[in-house]
Amino acid sequence: MTKILTLNNISKNYNDIKVLDNINIDINKNDFISLIGPSGCGKSTLLNIISNIDKDYIGTKDIKTNNISYMFQNDCLLPWLTIYQNATLSKIFNKNIDYKYIDELLIKYGLYEYKDKYINSLSGGLKQRLALIRALATKPDILLLDEPFSALDFQTRLKLEDDVKTITTNNNITTIMVTHDINEAISMSNIVITLSNKPSRIKNIYNIDINGTTLEKRLDNKFNYYYNLILSDLNEE
Amino acid sequence: MKNKKILIIQLLILIIFIITWQYLSDNKIINSFIFSSPKKILLSLYNLYVNNNLFIHIYTTIKEIIISFILGFIISFILAIILYLSNTLYKIVDPYLNVLNSLPKIALGPILIIILGANTKSIIIMALLINILVCFNSIYIGLISCNKYYLLLFKSYNATKIQTIKYLIIPNALINIVSALKINISMTLIGVIMGEFLVSKAGLGYLIIYGTQVFNLSLVYSSIILILIISYLIYIPIILIENKIKKISS
Repeated sequence: MTKILTLNNISKNYNDIKVLDNINIDINKNDFISLIGPSGCGKSTLLNIISNIDKDYIGTKDIKTNNISYMFQNDCLLPWLTIYQNATLSKIFNKNIDYKYIDELLIKYGLYEYKDKYINSLSGGLKQRLALIRALATKPDILLLDEPFSALDFQTRLKLEDDVKTITTNNNITTIMVTHDINEAISMSNIVITLSNKPSRIKNIYNIDINGTTLEKRLDNKFNYYYNLILSDLNEE
Repeated sequence: MKNKKILIIQLLILIIFIITWQYLSDNKIINSFIFSSPKKILLSLYNLYVNNNLFIHIYTTIKEIIISFILGFIISFILAIILYLSNTLYKIVDPYLNVLNSLPKIALGPILIIILGANTKSIIIMALLINILVCFNSIYIGLISCNKYYLLLFKSYNATKIQTIKYLIIPNALINIVSALKINISMTLIGVIMGEFLVSKAGLGYLIIYGTQVFNLSLVYSSIILILIISYLIYIPIILIENKIKKISS
């Protein structure tokens, strides 16, 4: 196992209020990590620190790659650009883009024939898929997901969870996801980290020892065992 | 089909209005000396044309409108970008902008004439004084109203300030920029006509003042109609752009 990301004693104050307190995380290549914790506990802040958006923190981080993509809760698609221009947005910032891969994904989601249309015609699910394509366009080593499915209906959500899991596994993408949904966390991740309320500390780290697709994991006998563990962690807050 | 019907009704209203006006005037129900009549207005336009004056006046006014419109937009756009870039600067000048905004700029007219002379320059400066602040406000609001998630996205790409402004802030403000153009037109027209009232020797505003002084009210109505036509012609392309943007972003 090679380490790709290490956070050492990361703390963060926001207007004199401690948001993060001594966060230590080691993440190996190809891990799928879920961070789960109470609302507003600083989970997104942690992603912002990892992605270099937030440079104002205490502690050190060691990240072995610069190729990090970030996908937000809000699809953040730009309405003045076409579907294709949105998918290839990162080329504006001189990032290397895999055009063939983008085309493949657009075809897979049935977006290819509409690629020159604007995004106002897309449903919520397709918008989030397009945001996913945009995040994957640079073939990132690390993918950060901030509650990426929270605005979607349950069916779409299940499909997208499975898509993301499959894509990240097949392309060796290390993924860190912030979520509120325990089911989602267990079915997608191999490691679930629970966080306490403000200031956020790591409560527990669970290695999810279930194999299979996201749906198979949901149906596994051990699923409830992890569910109860995590739920009791959250209930203490 | 429905749009066609609406257009027909719109044209019908105009035609009925013109016919009624002519009828009331012909039958002396309204005083045609004060309210003129469509025929008299056409006649006075024809006279202007025959005397070779019509296009001089139209040209003068259009020239002033276009110069003030373009200059006003460029200046307010640059001002908005500068103040967007520096929030401190914005806070410093904010009270001054508010005071200037509430000042009736026409009050500065006489001073302008003393400083710049009774010429086109004064008219253009008058129009700029009136259009810049309003236009600036609309653009500035557009620039600062960017969704915070978009800004996060651009930060996650390590975007430079110039990239963020070029690819995010300005396109995101397009709707506001177009409405700034619309406001700019009305304000420019006010400024130019006001300016012409004060100083000019030619132009449609001058014709209005001149017509009133010699009690040739048909001339006044002719000028007003010409101003209406000019402003509408400038308005149309802006409305077309606005509709296109709205269609994309809805």
